[in-house]
Amino acid sequence: MADSLSPECTPLKHEYDSCFNVWFEEYLEPALATNATKEQRTAHYQRKAEEFQTKCGKVYAEYQNCIQNAVKQRGIEPLLQQAREEHPLREPLPPAQPPTKDSK
Amino acid sequence: MKFFSQSYSYNDPWSIVTLAFFMRYPNPYASHVLSCDVVSRSVTPSGSLMTTRLILKRGAIPRWFPKGIVSRAETWVVEETEVDPLGQTVRCKTRNLDHVKVMQVEETVLFHAVPEGKTLQVTEARIRSGFGWGLTRRIETHGLNKFKANLQRSREGVSLVLELLRQSRLRPMTLGAPEDPLVSLALPAQPVVEHKTDADTEPQAAIPRPQNSWSRLKAWLRPPPRAD
Repeated sequence: MADSLSPECTPLKHEYDSCFNVWFEEYLEPALATNATKEQRTAHYQRKAEEFQTKCGKVYAEYQNCIQNAVKQRGIEPLLQQAREEHPLREPLPPAQPPTKDSK
Repeated sequence: MKFFSQSYSYNDPWSIVTLAFFMRYPNPYASHVLSCDVVSRSVTPSGSLMTTRLILKRGAIPRWFPKGIVSRAETWVVEETEVDPLGQTVRCKTRNLDHVKVMQVEETVLFHAVPEGKTLQVTEARIRSGFGWGLTRRIETHGLNKFKANLQRSREGVSLVLELLRQSRLRPMTLGAPEDPLVSLALPAQPVVEHKTDADTEPQAAIPRPQNSWSRLKAWLRPPPRAD
């Protein structure tokens, strides 16, 4: 796993990556029929998103807290913001989820 | 502006190629990648995973380039990825955030599942310089050549990570990493002792040390978890 741009965030980043990789591997092979209805799909991915939140949400929030500060300190934030506004992917990116301190 | 496009086919299913693509840093072919961070990640209502990563890459300034213009040969790169697991497609857009006047490289990579469990990768790049001083074309040509060379290395990196993933799924017992999250889903962990003699055996360390290039590569890929 690659290091974080900020050495102080690297341990959190590695912890988060480990958690994410396990979740991601399952996410990539959904136990869902290709002809599943839109409702079934929505429900399935809603569950996957919740599962991610339950398993990795806490460390993700801590990591984001650390990395967002590091990005601000290094003055990269305006560049990053501009890039994301100019070149969005097809679906607009939702705003980053604020770190939820109380989530487990 | 220079445009470049190339297709490549992996003999592996889309899901494992995608996993390898996400886990490709670090690898020995990407020593120029200094850091890689997730700055945003979410699942859309339709089920796609959207990720924005911020990557710091080390570059090299060609000798003919005027001195004193680019102070450091490092570039911030933003990578936006959409993974659609039902459509079995990955779309990834990458571009540099700084030195954009000198050269802007925009790369689009698409991975999609094709019949017989294979995966097609389509890479496109647009290389543009706004530098002027009679150097625009030279910079763009240089950028294009570098891009082509790097694409090959980048694929070798993904292929290597892919190979590691493949092996970790096939032969989880030989990896000597019981804590490995990917391995743990396959079999219960047991230490493997291969060269045991009854005579003078040194006490085995609790954690197996990396012994060959294979273990070292694996350690790069997934270092053991921190002791709490």
